[in-house]
Amino acid sequence: MTALLDVSRLAKRFGAVQAVERLDFQVEPGEILGIIGPNGAGKTTAINLISGVIRPDSGRITFAGQDVTGMRPDLLVRRGVVRTFQATTIYQERTVRENVRRGAFTTAYRGFWSTFLGTAGARAAARRAGEAIDELLSWLGLSEVADAEARSLPYGFQKVLGLGIALAARPRLAMLDEPAAGLSHDEANHVAEVVRRINREDVSVIVVDHNMRFISTLCHRIVVLHHGAELATGTPQDVTRDPRVIEAYLGTQH
Amino acid sequence: MMTTRVLAMSASAGVSRARWAWLAAGAVALLVWPLFVNEPFFLHIATLALLYTIGAASLHLVLRIGHLSLGHAAFLGLGGYTSALLTTALSWPFAAAFIASGLVPAVVALIVGPIVLRLRGVYFVLITFTFGEVVRLVFTEWQSLTGGADGIFRIPPPHALLASKRAYYYFALAMAVACVGVVARILASQTGRFIDAIREGERLAQSSGVPILRFKVMVFAIACGLVGLQGSLLAHFITFVAPGAYAFNESLNLLVMNVIGGMGSLTGPLVGAVFLTALPEFLRGWVELQRFLYGVVLIIVMLFVPGGLVELGRRTIALVREPEGRDA
Ligand SMILES: Nc1ncnc2c1ncn2[C@@H]1O[C@H](COP(=O)(O)OP(=O)(O)O)[C@@H](O)[C@H]1O
Ligand SMILES: [Mg+2]
Repeated sequence: MTALLDVSRLAKRFGAVQAVERLDFQVEPGEILGIIGPNGAGKTTAINLISGVIRPDSGRITFAGQDVTGMRPDLLVRRGVVRTFQATTIYQERTVRENVRRGAFTTAYRGFWSTFLGTAGARAAARRAGEAIDELLSWLGLSEVADAEARSLPYGFQKVLGLGIALAARPRLAMLDEPAAGLSHDEANHVAEVVRRINREDVSVIVVDHNMRFISTLCHRIVVLHHGAELATGTPQDVTRDPRVIEAYLGTQH
Repeated sequence: MMTTRVLAMSASAGVSRARWAWLAAGAVALLVWPLFVNEPFFLHIATLALLYTIGAASLHLVLRIGHLSLGHAAFLGLGGYTSALLTTALSWPFAAAFIASGLVPAVVALIVGPIVLRLRGVYFVLITFTFGEVVRLVFTEWQSLTGGADGIFRIPPPHALLASKRAYYYFALAMAVACVGVVARILASQTGRFIDAIREGERLAQSSGVPILRFKVMVFAIACGLVGLQGSLLAHFITFVAPGAYAFNESLNLLVMNVIGGMGSLTGPLVGAVFLTALPEFLRGWVELQRFLYGVVLIIVMLFVPGGLVELGRRTIALVREPEGRDA
């Protein structure tokens, strides 16, 4: 079986900082891959590179067998690659439902003319997207607050909403940048449940975090990043036992 | 806060019916008054106001994608000159010239859009300002084509039947309804949803797959096409075009219509267009005072009612309806 995502020798430098260096990893179809590393390790940069927000200096990104290196973010979304942001990124002044509807661009939007003329196809697409969103809201646990303004929600709900906007695009690969950062234990568990659930529905997931416990209970495999380079890759058990990882990362944290 | 939301929701059905009633009443009033008041002065102002609703609504579209243009009058001028030249020098029928007067600015917008719409904030303001001045210079300097500073005179009416002020008023009314209707339809459709998404969170919209630049260019081109149509309708109404009419003043005018009326919804530019077209005409006798009042009104609105006249009206209605409910 070929990998869904294949990242090969990826590198990105910002001035004097080598943010990502010779990064290699694969995401298999149906896999939850964790990327862990201390602050400044290059995790967000890796997501930015894969999602097309910034271009790599060198290296290659292959998705579903096709070279997508440097491809525009919106085109990558069309192919099924979505990402969330580390900082809460939502439409503050809109309702929760409207937020998620805006995430469903690729499925709900049928081009300028068909929406302008209100063709049967455009209306059907919008209706189907609306139904799918009600379902999504319900299993994200956001139905109760669907009509509330996003900014009125507690932080934990806002974080889940950010996830909901990404999932509304019906991804094949979802890259989540610290989805549990700042959440309570229960909220983090809820996020983990959401990740497992989309994973059961055949979505591959990259979860970025710096909390080893969260990552290791959720992910099938883990990539440990250190100063932009890959330090170790393996199952949670292997990685947490790796002496280099213990020294470079866990050793300093515990 | 929860209770106000519930109240708002239970009231919304009634509000939308009231809204239709208002719209119907407004439509009847717009159609009927000229039958009783066949006064050229009023018809003239009313026609201008109707035509300016097109330009103001079109600039509203540009504002909705998050860009503040100070060069919109250039596209008004491109439409005006196109229509004027085609109907005079080439004797095209009005209908064909009218279509061209929308297409020419739209095509120019398609060309400059992908360059200028990459710029943000004050850089976009500056580049559109510069673009406006360049276009005005072309109108002035390309004398063989544009008649230089004098412009083009004796532009014929669109049709022999439209030679009277009253007939032109009805024509302008139909055109304004059509053009503003196009804007309203775009904003109410799925396209409008993603236009707002782009303005409120460009990065987030992009990560949902919205092709930001393509959307902006498309909306910008439509807006410039629409204001070009106004340019044509205006040129055939006042029967001449001249570079001075499309200078920075006019771009500012269109912008101020949006600011004074309110930028939150399409109603704002419509109210602003009517207000700012009528006000100077009624203050003709006091030209000095006119500029002064203009400035004062603008400052007051920006300081105290950022939502413009529309918000002012809404507040007043709310105050009249439930004077005690001011804690919200
Ligand atoms: N746009 C940027 N410009 C300059 N430096 C950056 C930029 N983005 C990230 N960096 C730097 O690259 C390094 C990796 O950052 P980042 O990928 O955000 O780490 P992480 O997400 O693992 O905390 C840091 O030293 C950071 O300061
Ligand atoms: Mg980060």
